[in-house]
Amino acid sequence: MSEALLHVSDLEAAYGAVKVLHGIDFTVNVGDISVVLGANGAGKTTTLRAICGQVHTSGSIAFHGAEIIHEATADIVRRGIAHVPQGRGTFPELSVTDNLEAGAFVRKDSEINDDIEKWLEIFPVLGERRGQLAGSLSGGEQQMLAVARAMMSRPRLLLLDEPSLGLAPIIIEDLFGRLAAINADEGMTMLIVEQNANLALAVASHAYVLEAGTIAISGEPEVLSGDEAVRRAYLGY
Amino acid sequence: MTPRTIVEGSALHRRIQGANWSLSILLVAILPFLVAIPLKPSVFGNSYTIGLGNVNEAIAWAVAVLGLNLLTGFNGQLSLGNSFFVGTGAYLTGALVQTYHWSYLSTLVVVIPVCLAIGLIVGVPALRIQGLYLALVTFGLAAVFPTIVKLDQLDRFTNGSNGLNIESKLLPPDWMPIQGTLDAVRKIPLIGDWTGTESFSSRQSEAIYAYFLVVLIAAASFLLARNLVKSRPGRALIAIRDNEIGAEVSGINLSLYKAGAFGASALLSGIAGTMLAIDKGFVSPDDMGINFAIFLVVGLIVGGSANLKGSLIGGFAVIFVRQWATQTKEVPLLGWELNGPYGQMVLGVLLIGLMFAMPGGIAYGLTRIRARIYRVVPDIHHDGATSG
Amino acid sequence: MFLLAVSIDTDPELLLARVLDGLRFGSGYGALALALVMIYKATGVLNFAQGELALLGIYIAWAFSVGWGWPIIVAVILAIFITATLAAGIERTIIRPFDPSNHLPLVIVTLGLFLAINSFVAVTWTTDLKALPSMFPSGNVFAVGVAHLTWSGLGMFITVFAMLGAVTLLLNRTKIGLAFRAVSSNIESAELVGIKVGQTLQFGWALAAAIGTLAGALLVPELQVLDPNVMLSTLVFAFAGAALGGLDSPKGAVIGGILVGLIRNVVVQSVSFIPSELSVGAAVFVILLVLLVKPSGLFGSSKVVRV
Repeated sequence: MSEALLHVSDLEAAYGAVKVLHGIDFTVNVGDISVVLGANGAGKTTTLRAICGQVHTSGSIAFHGAEIIHEATADIVRRGIAHVPQGRGTFPELSVTDNLEAGAFVRKDSEINDDIEKWLEIFPVLGERRGQLAGSLSGGEQQMLAVARAMMSRPRLLLLDEPSLGLAPIIIEDLFGRLAAINADEGMTMLIVEQNANLALAVASHAYVLEAGTIAISGEPEVLSGDEAVRRAYLGY
Repeated sequence: MTPRTIVEGSALHRRIQGANWSLSILLVAILPFLVAIPLKPSVFGNSYTIGLGNVNEAIAWAVAVLGLNLLTGFNGQLSLGNSFFVGTGAYLTGALVQTYHWSYLSTLVVVIPVCLAIGLIVGVPALRIQGLYLALVTFGLAAVFPTIVKLDQLDRFTNGSNGLNIESKLLPPDWMPIQGTLDAVRKIPLIGDWTGTESFSSRQSEAIYAYFLVVLIAAASFLLARNLVKSRPGRALIAIRDNEIGAEVSGINLSLYKAGAFGASALLSGIAGTMLAIDKGFVSPDDMGINFAIFLVVGLIVGGSANLKGSLIGGFAVIFVRQWATQTKEVPLLGWELNGPYGQMVLGVLLIGLMFAMPGGIAYGLTRIRARIYRVVPDIHHDGATSG
Repeated sequence: MFLLAVSIDTDPELLLARVLDGLRFGSGYGALALALVMIYKATGVLNFAQGELALLGIYIAWAFSVGWGWPIIVAVILAIFITATLAAGIERTIIRPFDPSNHLPLVIVTLGLFLAINSFVAVTWTTDLKALPSMFPSGNVFAVGVAHLTWSGLGMFITVFAMLGAVTLLLNRTKIGLAFRAVSSNIESAELVGIKVGQTLQFGWALAAAIGTLAGALLVPELQVLDPNVMLSTLVFAFAGAALGGLDSPKGAVIGGILVGLIRNVVVQSVSFIPSELSVGAAVFVILLVLLVKPSGLFGSSKVVRV
């Protein structure tokens, strides 16, 4: 039994009067890649935003044993949660290296520059464009930059919100390969929200299916892939 | 308490509407006689003067706020330059009356087309300037107006920085039964006592005549605005405000309507300028600058954006709040002495406070209070049959 | 009526005098434009109260120097700290509660501030004309006929560029500068890397107020008059400078301000058919022209977005 890094229980979230999450429970274990699947409007993005303190929530979010539900986003980031939001989430007017430096904003150590070089090597395409403004990169490059930017904070948990959105299939495959590599090499725990279920399940160690604000099914990816209903609803075969 | 439900067009609804209208008209008719001899209430050691001049000024401001409301409230183009149009109207009236001896009312024949034209001219470049940039350009327009008035070349018409004193008096026509009405008002129990016992001086009679003139002009302006807002073009203006791209792909001609909104706004503002000239008999360049333009925004927000009644409330709020603050010389109980342009400070604070507390303005607040007392619902059984 | 014959003064000494005046006033406009740009860059809001915040600072400096007899430099430094603190307080209390992405209510709040601060100054110090001493020695560096470069003019020019240098270094070489640039680029992502957005914007307001106060303290002695309306036309010139340089470029603000100063003192005064009273009009014309032809100005970035 591995150690739980993030434990969410009875999480509710609302935008004004509209309730989006109706009390969900799930756990992300250290070293795992957990995947949340679901249709549009199921509350996937809201789940990630709730963990980061960006929406009004109630319930419990325990990170590394500490309750973080009422903390400000900036403090949650300092605890070691990095979030790659939907639609890239880079700083378009800043250069690639400045983006990475901003990613390390919460760090005070002296290895920031070394880390920047490290991630520019891991994503060589960024290394070639280090002085370029992030807004001038292609969609795939921006997504790589967003991931590298998030990793710059040396997080213990990486949240990714639909990283495949708007990217060409070949780029998506490359991206998920790199995510799996980061998980293996750095031991990085990840929580990925996706609509592209096939790819997500291929890298996942645990999966949840979110439906209308509640968790409908959860289990090992092989189990979910085998489930007739899940296959038809989310995998399309 | 649950609000009482009243069916639209029912006898009760019609009776409430009728009572509202009769009371309003009665109030409008009697009001000038009550304040023609200025009231001088004293509150907490501060003495205040409320005269007919303030009422006339407030009505003129209501029309100016209405002009801004069409452009900013209904069409979403933030203008900080409507003082330019008001000033143009005021100076045109002033110069035509003073230099060319026109009658006050006849100057509208010039003011209306000129202000409409200036509004359209400003509106055309504004088409390409979005959002806050438009506020910036119009802010500049407001800053420029006093410098144009002060140009040596225009001195002959505007009297430069000294301001233009319009010497022509606004004599009430002989057929106006001012003294007779005053006698009648005095017979009303309780209220009649306010008006004192003296006859009106010629100045007070002039103010009463001016009052009825501005009321008529204001009524026409509000009627015009109401019809515009409720018509097809009015809905187009609102659609552009709410979603410009959506409006455009629905076939609304953006250029036409946005420039038109500027034109209509300038037209009403110019009329308000004429009303101010009628009321004060004096126009000064430094009164028509940026502060004037921002006071109009205060009126718009305090009264209620995109709300016609709100413009009326806003105009009165600006004038009377300023008057109240300026005349308050001592803070009650604390005994602090006040001196200087406190009116402007209070309006500034009021603007910020309203943005927090009641972004919909006073008109919106009143609607909510009324909704707690009674609620008018459409008659679903006679849909269409009861309209009109 | 108007005589529409174009004649341009070409007396070289007079021209030099006007160029020097233009540079002097223009650097003052550029400094205030820099304050406007700091707020616009960070928040996307045009701060119509920026000139009045500077006005308050100028009167505070006047009170310390003329009223209490302190050295003018000390008075200005104190005034800078006081207005910066005040601006930080304003940001915290009446700006931060509003949604930062909805600009219209924020602009209306700055209009309320404009009225309130302007009348606060008039109430506290009356509307009587005053004079603020210059921070620089009197006298000329050189003089050629009517043209002369004063020490204060030179000092102003140098101070403004030093200020621009300091702001540029702050933005590009410090952590708070990085936070500032990140917030102005993408508020949500800034939050997600752990930047405290509210505090960063508060810093922006304080910095802008400090820059504005210094701009006023440089410019008002040159205008040789201090009354509660002194920053009104100055604000229009500064807006023109900021628009010309590009509303999000600090370098553009200073250069744009200087260009506007040159337009005001050289172009308007040399061309006979433009009445010199219309210099504010010339500034508005510059704003209009820039927004119509090239809204990003000379140095501004049109938002770089590639999908």
